[in-house]
Amino acid sequence: MRARRTIDLFARSDERPSARGGQVLETHGHEAARGAGERSPRPTVPQPQVARRSEVLPPAGGASRAPATELWVGVHLAGAAAQRAPQGLQRLALRALRFTPRVSLAPPDGLLLEVRASLHLFGGVEGLRRALRRECADLALAGSLAFAPTPLAALAAARCECALVLQDAARLIGSLAPLPLRALRWPQEALDRLASIGVRTIGQVLRLPRAGFAQRFGAARLADLDRLTGRAPDPRERFEAPVRFRRRRELPCESASHGQLTAALAPLIEALGRFLEARQCGVLAVECRLWHRHAEPTRCVLRLAAPLADAARLAELLGERLRMLALPEPAHTCELRAGEPVPRALCSCGLWQSGEHGGLPEARGSAFIERLRARLGPEAVQGLAVVPDHRPEAAGRVTEPGACWGTATPRFPASPATSRQRVSEAQPIPPGRSPPRDLPLRDRSFAPSRIASGDFAAARPLWLLPVPRPLRQRGGLPRYRGALRLESEPERIETGWWDGRDIERDYYEAVDVHGRRLWLFRERAAPHRWFLQGVFA
Amino acid sequence: MSADPSGPGAMPSDPSHERASRLEGLLAHPLLWRAGHAARQPVWSSGFSRLDEGLPGGGWPRSGLIEVLPARFGVGELKLLLPALAALTTRPEARWSAWVAPPLSPFTPALAAAGVELSRLLIVRAQGRECLWAFEQALGSGACDSVLAWARHAPPRQIRRLHLAAQRGNALGVLFRPRASVREASAAMLRVAVEPLERGVRVTLLKSRGGARGALDLTWDAASTGAGGGP
Repeated sequence: MRARRTIDLFARSDERPSARGGQVLETHGHEAARGAGERSPRPTVPQPQVARRSEVLPPAGGASRAPATELWVGVHLAGAAAQRAPQGLQRLALRALRFTPRVSLAPPDGLLLEVRASLHLFGGVEGLRRALRRECADLALAGSLAFAPTPLAALAAARCECALVLQDAARLIGSLAPLPLRALRWPQEALDRLASIGVRTIGQVLRLPRAGFAQRFGAARLADLDRLTGRAPDPRERFEAPVRFRRRRELPCESASHGQLTAALAPLIEALGRFLEARQCGVLAVECRLWHRHAEPTRCVLRLAAPLADAARLAELLGERLRMLALPEPAHTCELRAGEPVPRALCSCGLWQSGEHGGLPEARGSAFIERLRARLGPEAVQGLAVVPDHRPEAAGRVTEPGACWGTATPRFPASPATSRQRVSEAQPIPPGRSPPRDLPLRDRSFAPSRIASGDFAAARPLWLLPVPRPLRQRGGLPRYRGALRLESEPERIETGWWDGRDIERDYYEAVDVHGRRLWLFRERAAPHRWFLQGVFA
Repeated sequence: MSADPSGPGAMPSDPSHERASRLEGLLAHPLLWRAGHAARQPVWSSGFSRLDEGLPGGGWPRSGLIEVLPARFGVGELKLLLPALAALTTRPEARWSAWVAPPLSPFTPALAAAGVELSRLLIVRAQGRECLWAFEQALGSGACDSVLAWARHAPPRQIRRLHLAAQRGNALGVLFRPRASVREASAAMLRVAVEPLERGVRVTLLKSRGGARGALDLTWDAASTGAGGGP
């Protein structure tokens, strides 16, 4: 409390010279920066103005502590580049590692490089600026650059698209003073309150009393200002280029045999297992490349449902994948590449086996599904779900195994029937048609909830043909490998105009000569053709 | 091992009766298998009370391979298994029910209406030789309660392997084969021929390890009454 009163007093006296030039502003900035923190233990006696001045004047104060030896480049991605910033930023950071090892990300759209030691290698500030602009242009990113002794200052200047080049820490505050406050990305509420007291630029905010500012706007904002002016250190987390596993091995002799290939790959997979183990990570994709003498290299990609680090499992799955591979000619070199290592959740083994009381049902389920998928392809193993739709071909859907039915979205290419449905969904509702007000009463099957709830258990077949099969007819009656006996009253299923697949059908149950129950329909439209759509089984 | 029927205050029973009861207890050991008395192994109720009486042990076996030989595809062979599948998939500790190489796509509303929990269902698309491989993997994985497979050709040696895989994975394997393969030898525990009837099926037990053989007629109405009682 005492300290704050002291500083308030000073600040009030500071209001007077506010109209002066940059050099003075910088002095005031230092003044504000050096305020409460260092002097708080001092007695509350108001200091004479001369004494205060004499303390601030030596330029070797807080500002020169660290930033004098650092030069940061702030890169701000603007406009359309900001839309795809996460990937763009990563790629730019990877390229920026060419200039300096000290690269930091400032998400969502900023990048920082410390380049003091690299300046002379890239032709000074101008050379570096040109090189960085070229990298941005290569990636089709629009970025603005600024050079400043502190990272936050460089970033703030870049955000304002102010092409600041400042190597001298002593002139930092003067150069920052005209920048608008929004460059600091403070919450809008704080900016509004500052604007209401007439503070719109960084220079103005640096002139505010320290302790009062901290009390009104929070210590975090004050810490921001300290980092901006270099009074407080601003350690930045370094960007590390992602490490990926990639290793090649030549085969002892050219071979196309599965056994020899897996034997050659085994040490590579083991090395991959150790690589992942050491990083506590797993992989989601592994690629094996086989190099031939003449033909293009054969690629074999294994995708996994969950991050995996177990070398034995990887070897097993990759072995299954290789077994399905047709090699154009014998391979002489094999290469193993792993995708990006992703952190995996380590879980303890269950005491009980799956299926036993207390055992986890999913524990071994995923391993078995992965093995099947490795050999048969990712679309080979699917789950099923009900879609509340009255049209039979739209009422089913394939999902990820075990997905909760009726709610999950399919992640794999659907069966022909469902993919047709998706295509037609894209078509707009024909103009001039509105939803029906009242549904016809005879249209029993319209309410989709009744289908899902099982009201039609007796009237629905267990098997459905992917595409209805046209039947031959004789005397207006359908035939399928012999005469068919129609068993039931017709059930009308119609409409579907909202997704462009309108149907108008009368469905019948029929029994064929072998005693099978079939599900047929007759089109209500002009040719009145008969189709086979399901088998009751 | 055997529960003593007499309380602590009851008179001691005579030695011969005691010996017989101990023998009964020993014979009840699950590892002991007696021909003609295959009830020792656990079963799933088929949902049809008449069929349960005919099947060895009173239902479909919980682990092992059975063969279903329909006269034609779609005469009712799947409906015969649906009550058991519904009971299996709706258990809280249910494992997967995998369907390997079904000839058509299952119609999900009908399955849901029959009480089958769709989220426990796996459809495996495989062709030719891969079908039996996927079947064996699913049976032996220990992650499935039941595995249904539709295969055209299954050599006897392969069927033996499938049966062993089913026992290893503690799963019920159901292999649907054409009726023509009735003449081939098979290591399946149970071979069932299915023929269509008016509103029902005739189930003929061609081979039934430890059970009676013969035919019985089932009607679908009976299923609805018997399906409630799960294992």
